[in-house]
Amino acid sequence: MFYRETGQYKTSYEADSSIFPILQDRIGIALMLIVAFVVIPLAGNDFFLSSIMIPFLIFALAAIGLNILTGYTGQISLGTGAFMGVGAYACYKLTTYFPDVNIVLLILCSGFFSAFIGMLFGLPSLRIKGFYLIVTTLAAQFFLEWAFIRVGWLYNYNDSGAIEVPERTGFGLVLTGPSATPTTRYMVVLCLVVAMTWVASNLIRGRIGRSWMMIRDMDIAAELMGVRPLYAKLSAFAVSSFYTGVAGAMMVFFWLGAAEVESFDVNESFSILFMVILGGLGSLMGSFMGAAFIWILPVLLRLIPESFGIDISVATLEHINFMIVGALIIFFLIVEPHGLARLWKIAKEKLRTWPFPYA
Amino acid sequence: MSQEIKPGEVLLELEDVSLSFGGVRAIKNVGFNIKRGEIRAIIGPNGAGKTSMLNVINGFYHPQEGTITYKGVHRKNMRPYVAATQGIARTFQNVALFKGMSTLDNIMSGRTLKMHRNFLWQMLYYGPARREEMQHRERVEHVIDFLEIAHIRRTPVGRLPYGLQKRVELARALAMEPELLLLDEPMAGMNLEEKEDMSRYILEVNDEFGMTIALIEHDISVVMDLSDRIVVLDHGEKIADGTPAEVSADQDVIDAYLGVAH
Ligand SMILES: Nc1ncnc2c1ncn2[C@@H]1O[C@H](COP(=O)(O)OP(=O)(O)OP(=O)(O)O)[C@@H](O)[C@H]1O
Ligand SMILES: [Mg+2]
Repeated sequence: MFYRETGQYKTSYEADSSIFPILQDRIGIALMLIVAFVVIPLAGNDFFLSSIMIPFLIFALAAIGLNILTGYTGQISLGTGAFMGVGAYACYKLTTYFPDVNIVLLILCSGFFSAFIGMLFGLPSLRIKGFYLIVTTLAAQFFLEWAFIRVGWLYNYNDSGAIEVPERTGFGLVLTGPSATPTTRYMVVLCLVVAMTWVASNLIRGRIGRSWMMIRDMDIAAELMGVRPLYAKLSAFAVSSFYTGVAGAMMVFFWLGAAEVESFDVNESFSILFMVILGGLGSLMGSFMGAAFIWILPVLLRLIPESFGIDISVATLEHINFMIVGALIIFFLIVEPHGLARLWKIAKEKLRTWPFPYA
Repeated sequence: MSQEIKPGEVLLELEDVSLSFGGVRAIKNVGFNIKRGEIRAIIGPNGAGKTSMLNVINGFYHPQEGTITYKGVHRKNMRPYVAATQGIARTFQNVALFKGMSTLDNIMSGRTLKMHRNFLWQMLYYGPARREEMQHRERVEHVIDFLEIAHIRRTPVGRLPYGLQKRVELARALAMEPELLLLDEPMAGMNLEEKEDMSRYILEVNDEFGMTIALIEHDISVVMDLSDRIVVLDHGEKIADGTPAEVSADQDVIDAYLGVAH
């Protein structure tokens, strides 16, 4: 009833090509931003901020990174975990050498390292596709994991083999380390994720995003329209790895506080890939939905039986989680490759025409 | 440097071109030219080598022998990307649209080479990148109006019926504002009405914008109506070349092509 575009005439191409052409969508986004920036920091407790919102946002960013590569450019990667690792280790080394530089700046810089490594491992995509590319990215994953263990320099030769986040400041606040408050960390993560999502949406709706999608949909025709596959693919690998790298650095610095190679293993790659598939290939909104689903489902599975006083072992919960996620992945791959984002869109289309579906 | 070609002068010259795939000789010593401003049809039975010919022209296939001169410049093994930068656009026999994108985005993709705002501006979008986007959007809207596809602007092209997909593909090629437009069976699988529309568009593009067109088409009556000159291929060889009247009177053509039912 209220979700209508009736009476909202576009008088310019600008208005017509804005991200959310329908007013109600714009209101919806504004509301979400208000909730994220005002309500949650005021109302959320430390557990909610630290264990739900912060990781959710970080995973959403990683999912956006992978979605740029897989959903928008059609290149599948199983190296996401390792590229997150590159960001994290790069940030760790940067802050070791430049302890006084604002950590947010260093986190963004570390994205350039993962972008470079991502581009390097993206080079084979110019010659190979599909299954063989997956294998190549998997090789990148294992090679980088090996480097994270073997190259002691990366973790400053700590005995633990882990990178431990030191206390770092920025904007006059303590942003990382044990004395950084969850609210501060949440706000920094939120700002970065919102800004980077906005940038991603800008890239996607312009020439560069179109050239990615052209390569994805029909690479031969793309070249005949003047897209150079080399540029399109490598820029997708670079941007994608930049995003995953920044997400990896944020994961360690704003959430985990310490990490070793296990945080960046192939399971991590898979779980980000599942977020992208569940949320929707080629949808930024879907990346958030997928991340919310994959991250929050296990928390709910743990909390709901607990609140009823039912005691289920952790192992059982994990199995249930795997089964639900697995079944949904299969469902979405077969029935709706565009994921939750598409279901949401269909729901909105129904709402738009309700109660006269054929009008 | 390529030179300015006036209407009626030779835009593209193919001499003695031969192309083979392993043992299959798809094109055998074929030569013909295309003059600026004309509609040049390439006809012939199935497997005659027509599509291969277009692929040679826009750099997708590289012939083993022969020379190609485009705008007075002799060219060797160019990439399709380079052909696009030189103003050669095409449509495909089997529609090659970007299936996941809307009609509008498909046509906007034709503007790729004409858009120059760099990565940083694109990241910001607002400002120069958006201005550029809007300028090109305006050009694209003209093409959309011209081809009467405004109503499907937002539809993902994968969901469109075949006839409309062909039209969107033409729109995408026109958005490139090419100097030479290659059309590979633009009317295949269309009903009579759709064919008439398509013929009208092709004629108008040629008349009003003076666009040079190379057209592959099986429907002989369409070809006779539209084209200025026709080259006939059969089994990779050129068997005739001339005006519609000359070609339809040619005994070789009658034997090899017109006699064969399609
Ligand atoms: N990529 C390729 N690899 C191997 N053989 C090819 C290839 N492309 C074309 N051929 C062969 O070249 C010959 C000419 O094919 P082409 O597609 O150019 O014919 P056509 O005139 O366009 O036919 P149609 O009317 O069926 O479209 C055929 O024998 C075909 O099998
Ligand atoms: Mg053909």
